[in-house]
Amino acid sequence: MKKKVVAMLILSMAGTMIFGGCGSKEEEGKTKDGKVKVRFASWDEAEDVDAQQEMVDKFNAEHDDIEVVLEAYGGEFDTKISAGMGSGDTPDVMYMWNYPAYADGLEPLDSYIEGEGEDYKSNFYDTLWNYNSIEGEVYGIPIGFTTHALFYNKDIFAEAGIEEPTNDWTWEDLQNASKIITEKCEGKKGFSFQMKPDPYDFEMYLWSNGTAYVDEEGNLEGNLNSDESKEVFEMFQEMEKEGYAVATEKSGTDEFRSGNTAMYIYGSWSINTLKEDGVNFGVVDIPAFSASQDSVSILSSSGISMSKDSKNKEAAWEFIKFWTSEEMNKERIGRELPVLHSVVESEGIMEQPEFKPFYTMLEQSSGYTPASFIIESWSELSENLSLSFERVFNPSTLEDVSDVLDEAVEQ
Amino acid sequence: MNQKKLLKNMTPYLFIMPWIIGFLVFTIGPLIFSLIMSFFDWPLTSDPTFVGFGNYVQMFTKDKQFFKSLVISLKYAAIFVPLNMIIALFLAMLITQPVRGVKVFRTIYYIPTVISGVAVSILWGWILNGDYGVLNYLLSLLGIEGPKWLVDPAWALLAVIIASAFGVGSMMLIFYTDIKNIPIDVYEAAAIDGANPARQFFSITLPIITPTILFNLITSIISSFQQVTLVMLLTGGGPLKSTYFYGLYTYNNAFKHHKLGYASANAWVMFVIILCLTALVFKSSSAWVFYESEAGGAEKKKKKGGKK
Amino acid sequence: MKMSKTSKIIIYILLGLVALYFLSPFVYMLFTAFKTEAEAIAYPPKLFPETWHFENFINAWKAQPFGTFFLNSILVTVGTTAGQILSCSLVAYGFARFNFKGKNVLFMILLSTMMIPWDVTMIPQYMEFKMFGWINTLKPLIIPAWFGSAYYIFLMRQFLMGVPRDFEEAARIDGANAFQIYWKIFMPILKPSLILVGVLNMISVWNDYLGPLIFLQDRSKYTLALGLAAFKGVHETQIIPMLCITIIMIIPPIIVFIIAQKYIVEGTSGAIK
Repeated sequence: MKKKVVAMLILSMAGTMIFGGCGSKEEEGKTKDGKVKVRFASWDEAEDVDAQQEMVDKFNAEHDDIEVVLEAYGGEFDTKISAGMGSGDTPDVMYMWNYPAYADGLEPLDSYIEGEGEDYKSNFYDTLWNYNSIEGEVYGIPIGFTTHALFYNKDIFAEAGIEEPTNDWTWEDLQNASKIITEKCEGKKGFSFQMKPDPYDFEMYLWSNGTAYVDEEGNLEGNLNSDESKEVFEMFQEMEKEGYAVATEKSGTDEFRSGNTAMYIYGSWSINTLKEDGVNFGVVDIPAFSASQDSVSILSSSGISMSKDSKNKEAAWEFIKFWTSEEMNKERIGRELPVLHSVVESEGIMEQPEFKPFYTMLEQSSGYTPASFIIESWSELSENLSLSFERVFNPSTLEDVSDVLDEAVEQ
Repeated sequence: MNQKKLLKNMTPYLFIMPWIIGFLVFTIGPLIFSLIMSFFDWPLTSDPTFVGFGNYVQMFTKDKQFFKSLVISLKYAAIFVPLNMIIALFLAMLITQPVRGVKVFRTIYYIPTVISGVAVSILWGWILNGDYGVLNYLLSLLGIEGPKWLVDPAWALLAVIIASAFGVGSMMLIFYTDIKNIPIDVYEAAAIDGANPARQFFSITLPIITPTILFNLITSIISSFQQVTLVMLLTGGGPLKSTYFYGLYTYNNAFKHHKLGYASANAWVMFVIILCLTALVFKSSSAWVFYESEAGGAEKKKKKGGKK
Repeated sequence: MKMSKTSKIIIYILLGLVALYFLSPFVYMLFTAFKTEAEAIAYPPKLFPETWHFENFINAWKAQPFGTFFLNSILVTVGTTAGQILSCSLVAYGFARFNFKGKNVLFMILLSTMMIPWDVTMIPQYMEFKMFGWINTLKPLIIPAWFGSAYYIFLMRQFLMGVPRDFEEAARIDGANAFQIYWKIFMPILKPSLILVGVLNMISVWNDYLGPLIFLQDRSKYTLALGLAAFKGVHETQIIPMLCITIIMIIPPIIVFIIAQKYIVEGTSGAIK
């Protein structure tokens, strides 16, 4: 009769129980052989993960009582961390850049740093600490950073027969060169910038021209829509309108790599790809708005943080120390710019022309605080700003700068 | 005897028991949890606080993006659902034709469905790039200046529809399986009666597959409202938020802005909208969906489409 | 039914045109996978690579432990597909072939479960699976499938509703019980739609990366789709390896489909309707 059905149901129910029961044997925060388990979440993409795994293995070999498990989520890192924090199951140690969004879930590290002595902290580039802190409390130890700099294609400059960019360039120099390149080199554009720039990055141009999105109290009025700010947007829009610059759909790296554009401003992320492609490129400081004023860059910093809910904070700190050591800074050269004075000196980083501008920009950029650290609801404001900027730069709209920015302030 | 009757009454419940258990164990908890959360402010990194109807009030009175995204999703659904179904049905008819080599074509049509979404979106980004894209390059060889697909708001929704139409294979397969289920003698009888292929399609095939049409209609309404992955990877909601679908809006509220309570409220409003649409479709279905199992049943007196 | 020559030609032209539309992005992708990255983004684009870099595939496969990922993917796909076919046909049979109290309400609830997006139920689901001790195992990806999914239940129900009532009447007179009728009579004639459910489930599970992303932690548990997603970084994407793995990932489902399509056609020779 129905026996079969009933049997099947009982079986499947029993299955659930068994599965449910036996899974939880492994004690939380411990591995099977009783070591302290530390989960470490990384955002690095596939190729770099293997190198990371090796270093994690090395750490594990040196520590009898700790086992670090590497979890690699690539571009999906944020979704995973959000889900982890929401459900109270955050990895013990994780890479971090968006401190304003996640700080509430992170362990303040000042007391740990103090325990390591004064020299530990001062070996890091000082500006980096600001970018890894919220309201004066440190939530992450820097592992890498990038500022922005001007990339240029040496072959195209040779083809156009003009002088290559220098660290002293102003935007006017860049515009002149762009015009010549666009005229002389068939199908090529002199300069490219993002049609939909990340507002976090774009603020550096406002800083360079003596303004910012907001003042210290977080007011947009009189800042985002100041004359200096409008001047910046109008300059970019003008270049696009006149046709010697192109607004790219993505970062602009692809256009630069394929030799369709001669210059663009970007972080050190693309150096490896450009080298692999064999692009004959150079890097200099971002052009300034006037000869008397240094240009400023945004800082994209990556740090390594600890979850405030971690059950094994000591072991986690032990690993963080290892991961931010001189040895690891050296290991990461080629993927990350070193953050320790001692490593930059010993490895002769400043003598390498493709790296030096990023450190110059770092020095020139101390003392600026991005709006994301000032404004509570930055992620929403950022989304609105992004739309406003796109209205200015999207070729199918190219709206009037003044109107758009005034409107953005009112929102 | 009584026991037997009880068992007989129990039979249907036994059949649906796996789903009921699954629903009680895996589904209902999270559903209720998200409903409750829609009355909370939950910034993800710290504890939730109760805000009553605050999230809903904000959606309907303050958040302009809510209506904009809703309209975009409705527009997308209105174009995509019928278009996709017509294409799927057309293709399903095409691959049922008794010609040699049709098997190969069947497989070819199925390939795009299998390709993983992440790579597909990146590939589409390349193909549709306005300045350096393959499609516009090919058009330029023909002397046509292609639009800036992913930059011009007027074209972006179309670009998303073109890209999502590549996933038509599943629906095609569902129609195909159903059409293949129609016994050949039904057609042969009609052919003797002198019905031409078009007549055959409208008077035989179409009525018989109405149950799967209903299925595809409802599931594609649901999925078009929940469309996230493709727009997130292909357009990021742009240009100028012209493809900022409701699904993406919800997703960003949850994972970008970390407003999980608000996102839950978004989701439940969407739930009510889809539920109403589904109920409407179901209500209307008694007029146009024909179930063989109900044929001749006393409870359905209405005469349905030209069956047999 | 004989076809005239002209209608045959028209059909072939249509078949060909549609195939061109569907195939061209795929072919472009296939050729690109053999290029260097510099070639892939060159403009004007070229269809064929200058030299065929077959090693791209090997390098991509070696970039991550894809052998392990592959096994995990197979495990999850086979595990869920078997579960879906069994449970969905049972439940659908219950909804389609019986009248019982609360049927319509239950069916509406079933449909409703499809309407809440995963974004907002995912976190409570995570907490639940954590309670079960299922996190960082393949269980959350496989076991729920054994309790049916609304989509396939709905689909099967529609097929079952299309089978005439008198079909089981005869069997019932012979003294067969409901389960026997389901198993011995309906399962065989439903073979095409069971295969269809299997194929559809296979595609979606094979390519799903959000589920694995949320519920898995160690790389030894990852699936192919999750490994594939890891080629996409926050700033740069390794597109060539990504394409290579995508292409490798297409092969198993295509083989299954080629085998399955035979059964979708075959099963219909039985006389339903």
